Amino acid sequence: MKYYLLTLGCQMNLSDSERVASVLNAAGYTKADNEEDANLIGILACSVRQKAIDKVYNKIFTWNKWKNKKNLITFISGCVLPADKERFLKLFDIVFAMPELPQFPKMLTEYGITSPMAIVPEPNNPIDEIQLFWDVKPKYDSSFEAFVPIQNGCNKFCTYCAVPYTRGREVSRPSDEILTEVKSLAEKGYKSITLLGQNVNSYGLDKHGEEITFAELLEKIGEIGEAINNEFWVYFTSPHPMDMTDDIFHIIAKYKCLGKQIHFPLQSGDEKVLIKMNRKHSVEKYRETMQSLRRILPQATVFTDIIVGFTDETEEQFENTRKAMAEFKYNMAYIAMYSPRPGATSYKWEDNITLDEKKRRYAVLSEELQKHTYEYNKSLIGKTLKVLVREQDRKPGYLSGHTDGKIVVRLASDNKELIGQIVELKITSAARFSIEGELVEKTVSC
Amino acid sequence: MKRNRINYHEILEIRHLTESTFIIRFEKNGLKFKAGQHICVGPPDGVHSREYSIYSAENDPYIEILVKEVQNGLVTPVLKKLKVGQSVVVEEPVGYFTVKEEKVQSNNFLFIATGTGISPFHSIVKSNPQIKYQILHGVRNAVESYEKNEYPENNYILCSSRDKSGDYTGRITNYLQDVTIDKDSEVYLCGNCNMIHDVYDILEAQGIPNSQIHAEVYF
Repeated sequence: MKYYLLTLGCQMNLSDSERVASVLNAAGYTKADNEEDANLIGILACSVRQKAIDKVYNKIFTWNKWKNKKNLITFISGCVLPADKERFLKLFDIVFAMPELPQFPKMLTEYGITSPMAIVPEPNNPIDEIQLFWDVKPKYDSSFEAFVPIQNGCNKFCTYCAVPYTRGREVSRPSDEILTEVKSLAEKGYKSITLLGQNVNSYGLDKHGEEITFAELLEKIGEIGEAINNEFWVYFTSPHPMDMTDDIFHIIAKYKCLGKQIHFPLQSGDEKVLIKMNRKHSVEKYRETMQSLRRILPQATVFTDIIVGFTDETEEQFENTRKAMAEFKYNMAYIAMYSPRPGATSYKWEDNITLDEKKRRYAVLSEELQKHTYEYNKSLIGKTLKVLVREQDRKPGYLSGHTDGKIVVRLASDNKELIGQIVELKITSAARFSIEGELVEKTVSC
Repeated sequence: MKRNRINYHEILEIRHLTESTFIIRFEKNGLKFKAGQHICVGPPDGVHSREYSIYSAENDPYIEILVKEVQNGLVTPVLKKLKVGQSVVVEEPVGYFTVKEEKVQSNNFLFIATGTGISPFHSIVKSNPQIKYQILHGVRNAVESYEKNEYPENNYILCSSRDKSGDYTGRITNYLQDVTIDKDSEVYLCGNCNMIHDVYDILEAQGIPNSQIHAEVYF
């Protein structure tokens, strides 16, 4: 029996989908190349944007029509709001929360005998439940890049975000399991490992001293890197500024396997917008942390997330964000035009900044960002940098990858054997969001 | 303490303070929290829940929340109809709107609230009997002063904007324009976003350091 899995949304869902695939493979299912060939079709849903939920409805209505022609079981999991879950129970054959994944084969076996509602197990302890989920060994999609979930859920309740309502409270995965998984991946030759969590740097805080801190976890991963010959880079996403401490930067500076790229979401450069977003940190606190970061990790690249056009954002407040963008000199910014997310607190507020104005603010920030990225990228010309080659570039005859600071690099080569290797490139030219280089003869790591 | 995914807490008492505002007291069932934290509470058979600051003190043998009914809301009208002996679904307390032990010993606290935003401050002052504080409570009508007798008279100032029964007639922001705030005070703001933004400007103008201003917006 073949399965097809549609994954929507973030890296966390991608990571979850690797575990779903692993469970289905172990249960004897094989992956179908497309949904038409499958008898079991599932979605890992995302509730961040209405568009993603609309896609779920479009798909399930199509799939339910196919049931007239072939045997088909449908399921849905991932980030699902309580109200949507109620509706999905009527549309999908099986609906389960991701921590219930270990019970999924049993649900499939029992399907047809009982209703989906009846086969959902009695409520368990959420910590035990997520533990069983983490015990599932993922089937990694890539042979050189992997995601390792270290924490699930969110306690922050930002007003624009529905995650606290879809994934529940923060639960940290036991550190010994994380370290075992990271070590195993590194020994197998994985080159890029990303630690995942909704608030990745609040790792351990839910255990009230019975688990190591995020900085200590990084230190132990750093020690693994020192003990293993294979070169690899470890990243983490997504952190929250209120839990970002100097010791994290010191540990990253100490170990070469800890990628010199920090994702540090700002969201807004205005104090009042931050209050309305319920971000629980001030611009001043962010600035202090950024100054520490630059002092301790001067070589690090810094990426950020920013929302423009949040409800009631005035021109003056937006200007504060632009100034912050100029001040903090990011290497990349994921700028989002605000759109109300169903289930989030801000969904009930008027989305009162026009789309044209959001586009204008987006363009202004993009322009501000490029001023620095271009200058930074030009400063790399002539340098020899290590680059993880990831894929064939869209431009024919080129490969692309990234530095340990996650700056995108292009390389004129057709040699697909380089994909998945860390190589040395001499940087020859720079663009706003990428650089280009030539292969230095010696291959660093393979 | 291990908790189930869905946890039912029996309702022990309901106190109706106004036509639309009430306090639900329910079983603690071993939950621990820091005063100022919030908790997700919902009806026993619904899928929705909402965050409420905890009203009761850390050591009380029960948990209380202060609820204002939202017309056509999905949760509060249902909560309002619940009776003693029925249950609510309760998640673990979380949140960062708390006071630091060392500051309680050394600093003055100014708690500024609108409406049910007084809830975390009730919990904080009842959990820390030694705390030196002043509560500034903004309401439309004085009837919304919600158990003001819980606070010593000198520690509680009621600003009522639509009647003259408060200690001050007018908005909190008007009141603050005429007073000087001790620059060493830890200032906590809880309530509607507009009040918090306006008070933030006043505090900034008075030179209160950003690090001493703490806000929890009620939506």
